[in-house]
Amino acid sequence: MISNIERCYQCGQCTSVCPMGEQEQTYRIRRFLQMEKLGLETEESMVVPFIFYCTTCYKCQDNCPQGVNLVDAVLAIREKAVHKGKMLEAHKKVGQMLINYGHAVPTNTDAMEKRGLLGLEERPPTVQASIEGLSEIKTLMRLTGFDKLVAESEVEEQLTENAAMVQQADFTQQQVAEEKA
Amino acid sequence: MSNLSLFLGCVAPNRYPGIEAATKKTFSKLGIELDDLEGASCCPAPGVFRSFDKTTWLTLASRNIALSEEMDDDLLTICNGCYSTLKEAETELKKDSGLKKEVNEKLFETGHEFRGQHDVRHVIEYLYQNIGVDGIREIVSNQLDLRVAVHYGCHLVQPLKEAGSGLVTNDITFFDELVEATGAKSIDYEDKMMCCGAGGGARAAVQDATLRITEKKLQNMIEEQVDCIVNACPFCHLQFDSGQQDINKNSGTNYEIPVLHYTQLLGLAMGFSPEELGINLNSTNTAVFIQRIKEGFVTA
Repeated sequence: MISNIERCYQCGQCTSVCPMGEQEQTYRIRRFLQMEKLGLETEESMVVPFIFYCTTCYKCQDNCPQGVNLVDAVLAIREKAVHKGKMLEAHKKVGQMLINYGHAVPTNTDAMEKRGLLGLEERPPTVQASIEGLSEIKTLMRLTGFDKLVAESEVEEQLTENAAMVQQADFTQQQVAEEKA
Repeated sequence: MSNLSLFLGCVAPNRYPGIEAATKKTFSKLGIELDDLEGASCCPAPGVFRSFDKTTWLTLASRNIALSEEMDDDLLTICNGCYSTLKEAETELKKDSGLKKEVNEKLFETGHEFRGQHDVRHVIEYLYQNIGVDGIREIVSNQLDLRVAVHYGCHLVQPLKEAGSGLVTNDITFFDELVEATGAKSIDYEDKMMCCGAGGGARAAVQDATLRITEKKLQNMIEEQVDCIVNACPFCHLQFDSGQQDINKNSGTNYEIPVLHYTQLLGLAMGFSPEELGINLNSTNTAVFIQRIKEGFVTA
């Protein structure tokens, strides 16, 4: 089991202080934890893409009466999803940036111009100015299989809140129908 | 005492190079030479890459630390996200020899080794512990007469808490103390310790929701009539600075709060001009702020 999530007793103190939970009805940490505990992988659509909305601010963890390592748990649930080929389009792009340039946020003409105004080298002394350095990190990403992981992941639709609510409503109806049957 | 290498990360050199310039200038004034960390990469970012594949995250992080160790340097970060990644990687690898061996097997393929004999430092924590509030006060030549909204950022606080630094208490003050050492006043505001909204890959995943989190913080700051926001992280900096423009565009609002990294605030107090520190290069217009600084908003 991931981290120490067996200690969660579903009190909801995590969501009560979660800044993302306040903005997005679909972002409910305790639900992700409970689904993970119960192994409800068939209802994955209730977790992906929402699990990727966490800002990792640790407020939930600070507020958890059971001392659950909530951020580790959220990240580990994400990692499982990614390893099953589920990634958000925006995150896949960030992954490709790292693979191609060695930076999640690589330079651009605007940055190079600003650096010039400040008397800094046009390219910072990172992998962006080192072919050898870039080749090293490409080697490492090949050894860990990260290049393949990103290349082979499907792209998950990034749902707006409304679309997510519709999806949630469908899910609830389905549950009701199953219970009746 | 070992020397320091400057770990740049992504957002500072590639979006807000003023933070890089300010760090070099202020440290030089403090008599500390920062070595370039040639060939360093993305830390890699803790929220996204750690959650995509922990092995990749740890391997690339350990290479960055190894580059610094090869120069016999401690590694200095100017970003909370980089601090979170590199501090956690350092701690895990120092504690777990099996994991260290596993990572090093990969690093050997590129001619590097994580030895674990140096430390990862955050610029705020370094200034507080190694220079001290009195040390900052002594070197400041311009007393800044500013009302400042201090934004600590989640990934400055959490790694320091986990490392048992003693700096993180219920009444957390170390960053405020450093700000006040420049003559500025740190103004209390509601939900001060709340997230900027950007972290964990959320900015890429659900930008609108992250901007609503940011806007709440901005409103709380405006309520207290602050002159600027001072942060310790280029990604929080981006979310506040470029975020204000996004919010203005989306909602027809008129947010215009200047956003400064602490090294830029310190630079002003050391007598560097706003232009030398790149404060004029923000997305949000800082012309009024700069004018006021130049007209003696600071007192010598």
